[in-house]
Amino acid sequence: MSEHIATGVTADAELDCKGLLCPLPVYRTGQALGRLETGQVLRVECTDPGSLADFPALARQRGDTLLSAAEEDGVQVFYLRKGAA
Amino acid sequence: MGVASFITEMTRGRTRAARLGTDTRRRRYDDVRELIASPRDPTPLVRLNHVAPGLDAYLKLEGMNPFGSVKDRTARYLLEGMRERGELDGRELVEATSGNTGIALAALAALEGIRLTVTIPSGVPREKLVLLKLLGATVMPTPDDLCPVDNPRDGAIALARAIADSPAHRGRYAMPNQYANPDNVRAHYETTGPEIWQQTEGRVRTFVAGYGTCGTITGVARFLKERDPSIRVVAVEPQRGHRLPGLKNLEEAKPPEILDRSVIDDVVRVEDGPAYAMVRRLFREEALMVGPSTGAIAHAISGLDPESAGLVVGISPDSGLKYASYYASLVEDEGGTA
Repeated sequence: MSEHIATGVTADAELDCKGLLCPLPVYRTGQALGRLETGQVLRVECTDPGSLADFPALARQRGDTLLSAAEEDGVQVFYLRKGAA
Repeated sequence: MGVASFITEMTRGRTRAARLGTDTRRRRYDDVRELIASPRDPTPLVRLNHVAPGLDAYLKLEGMNPFGSVKDRTARYLLEGMRERGELDGRELVEATSGNTGIALAALAALEGIRLTVTIPSGVPREKLVLLKLLGATVMPTPDDLCPVDNPRDGAIALARAIADSPAHRGRYAMPNQYANPDNVRAHYETTGPEIWQQTEGRVRTFVAGYGTCGTITGVARFLKERDPSIRVVAVEPQRGHRLPGLKNLEEAKPPEILDRSVIDDVVRVEDGPAYAMVRRLFREEALMVGPSTGAIAHAISGLDPESAGLVVGISPDSGLKYASYYASLVEDEGGTA
């Protein structure tokens, strides 16, 4: 599993949403977070430009924490920690 | 068949019977698709004898179509158009639907060996989800507020569009897109509209249908107004945040591209309460077991001015059989043993 360099957070699961248009990354991420336990971390890779705005709002809406959002070589990488259900 | 086995068959008296073939007069069909209504074999018009006093009003019972709704016509035309344009070749289908279009598409796709994914808005009754799955469709329930930013109440449509257009899927999915596809309008211009004209012997004066994908209202109204421009077309629009599957409030949902407002004369707003009260009346007073959207449409009909309305035809988009879970609340205050 990937470790986030700046925060040292290790992802419990990863999701590849590269090449998927909004709102598919949000939909898939919601499903993937649903499969995790509270406190676990999901790493998501996206290429849809809308994701940079969508993911902070998604985390707020669901009660999860967006640990980091970064862009690496045209790919947006998000780390989300699942909140209490 | 070899000679020996033919003789064996003969001696058992079991030569294969000649195929009967379709005979619509006897209501015998070789293929369930032939049951989808058309001017040759229309869905029935039934008069409202109790809930619209003073009016000469009929409901067109689209629930009598083989897959249970007005959307059977739409689905047939959508698939035929896509096939003619070569859009189906080896592809899967994805469509946003409140259930009825999905059920009809799933039935037709199953017969043709085409895979179908449907994105379903929240609030669609459980019965429809079960039917879709039984027909082999992949079902994706979608919250209306799926897009946390820029949030129209159309999450299911946006999701279906994204599945069809995402580069990662490499063109694997084709989207009929009933909200924008002119074949949806054509289905009603070529079948529902002519049926109403024939069945009323050209005497229809007022036509009432709901705002949904707007294929029915646009196609029927266009046909009828070509025959007689003075025919009045009334659109029924639900309240914001309504619980009437298949209908749309066009202030909170994006107006479908196929809607032609120039053929609509009046819009009647109907709230959930009166629509469901009318559903109960239609069951008990007319013995018409209809879906919730028919309640809204019949309620709008009952408020028409008997002096000016003339002969009224309203669309009953589907039957009530798929809504038992919705309707439970209508009867739970009545006690009993159920």
